[in-house]
Amino acid sequence: MNSSWQREIKAVFLKELNSELRTKSGLITASLFSVVTVVALAYAAYNTSLSGTIAAGLIWVSILFATIVSIPRIFLIEEELGTMDILRLTARPHSIFWGKSLFSLAQSIVTAFLLAGMFVAFVGQRIYDPTLFLVSIFGGSVCLSSAVTLCGSLVAQAANRSALAAAIAVPLLLPVVTMAVGATRGSLGAGFHQQAVNCALGLIAYAIASQAIGPGLFALVWKS
Amino acid sequence: MEKLKNLLRPLFFVAFSIVTVWTYIVPDAKGFQYPAMARIFFWHFPCSILLLAFMFTGIYFSFRVFKRVDRGFTSVESAIEKMQWDSRAEAAMELGFIWAILTMVTGILFSLVQWGAWWQWDPRQTSFLIALLIYGGYFALRNSFPDPEKRAHFSGAYCLASALPIFFLVLVYPRLPQVQAVSFHPTNTIMQGQLKGQYGYVTITMLVLMSILSVWLYRLRTRVVLHEIALDYKNGNLEISGRSATPSGVVRPVSVPDENESATERN
Repeated sequence: MNSSWQREIKAVFLKELNSELRTKSGLITASLFSVVTVVALAYAAYNTSLSGTIAAGLIWVSILFATIVSIPRIFLIEEELGTMDILRLTARPHSIFWGKSLFSLAQSIVTAFLLAGMFVAFVGQRIYDPTLFLVSIFGGSVCLSSAVTLCGSLVAQAANRSALAAAIAVPLLLPVVTMAVGATRGSLGAGFHQQAVNCALGLIAYAIASQAIGPGLFALVWKS
Repeated sequence: MEKLKNLLRPLFFVAFSIVTVWTYIVPDAKGFQYPAMARIFFWHFPCSILLLAFMFTGIYFSFRVFKRVDRGFTSVESAIEKMQWDSRAEAAMELGFIWAILTMVTGILFSLVQWGAWWQWDPRQTSFLIALLIYGGYFALRNSFPDPEKRAHFSGAYCLASALPIFFLVLVYPRLPQVQAVSFHPTNTIMQGQLKGQYGYVTITMLVLMSILSVWLYRLRTRVVLHEIALDYKNGNLEISGRSATPSGVVRPVSVPDENESATERN
């Protein structure tokens, strides 16, 4: 990667970071959603021991919806503020996707680890394999962020964009959630450990594939 | 050619009727709770194959929307070509959606009769449900863009993005050993040679006939849309990204108010 690409990606990433630090809307929305969800789950599971499978399912459904609530906004906000055209003029599509994708990845990882950490602490869930747990949360976050960023860019110019972003992103993300639940439940002591490791490896492969496909598809629609 | 077509259509319907009767007279299959009702398979299996065939066809046509072929076209001609590929993709996805619904309906019926519940959350059942949701997402996205060129681009990109999850859901996930161990749904039935004798012949014949029906429906659907595009272009009604796509040399009628009439109205 030559320096001009790096400069553009860094500029887009910093632009997103500065915008976020100015308003903190994405961070506040995702954090509040995470806290409310975990409190609701812990309240519902009061005095009950959750199995690893149920706990993994609850964690990933919460992360999925927290991601869908916060991440598509990075493209929708450009359209709402009318800054999309300036972005088109100043950077190449691949740089824009990578810059925004890296920012959404950072946001997704923070949200996922916050949510999973709070869930484990509040519900008192025991982690049997911390490495597998971390890998599953990280791999799942990468997959979620790239797919949701792409879906956000696809619906940015649509009339009913906020609702549509979730409607088109969820079916694409269900395979990711399936693998992520498989990997996380193994780390929480449920199911066979080798199967959970296979799911984690599948998740990493899926993350690489989705990150490879995303910029190309984004470049195809960016000038539309 | 037209005479041949007129002959082939009734022949096709006769063949379909004969095969439908054949599905009822083949001996019952063994190893099912209600062997007579296992005949649902003759309808269920071709539907699922056609669902996948049309989904991958739709993905290919969406790819063609973006593929740049230098034929010396003007920007308007290129845009029209894109719209034509998009229409083909839409037709393929529409037919795939119909086959997906029929797959779900026949699968649910089979599940109710043979497994005792209309929905099992079986990995294979759920995979096809997610495929159906992806089809839903594609059409929801299409309907959000009134401009045909944008619609072609955005829905095409979504269709291409769905290739990875579809490939995983339908071809990888149900074949994982841990999933196969808990799933009711058989996999690789044909490849392992489990369909034998008349059951095999009926299944293959039904698949061939339903494929012919699908291709016929697809051709009818695309012909209508392509004629619409050609007619709009000819009449100067085709608009691409807000600009007129009127072919050169065509003068569009413009209504100019009569000056005397306007003066009378003012007075």
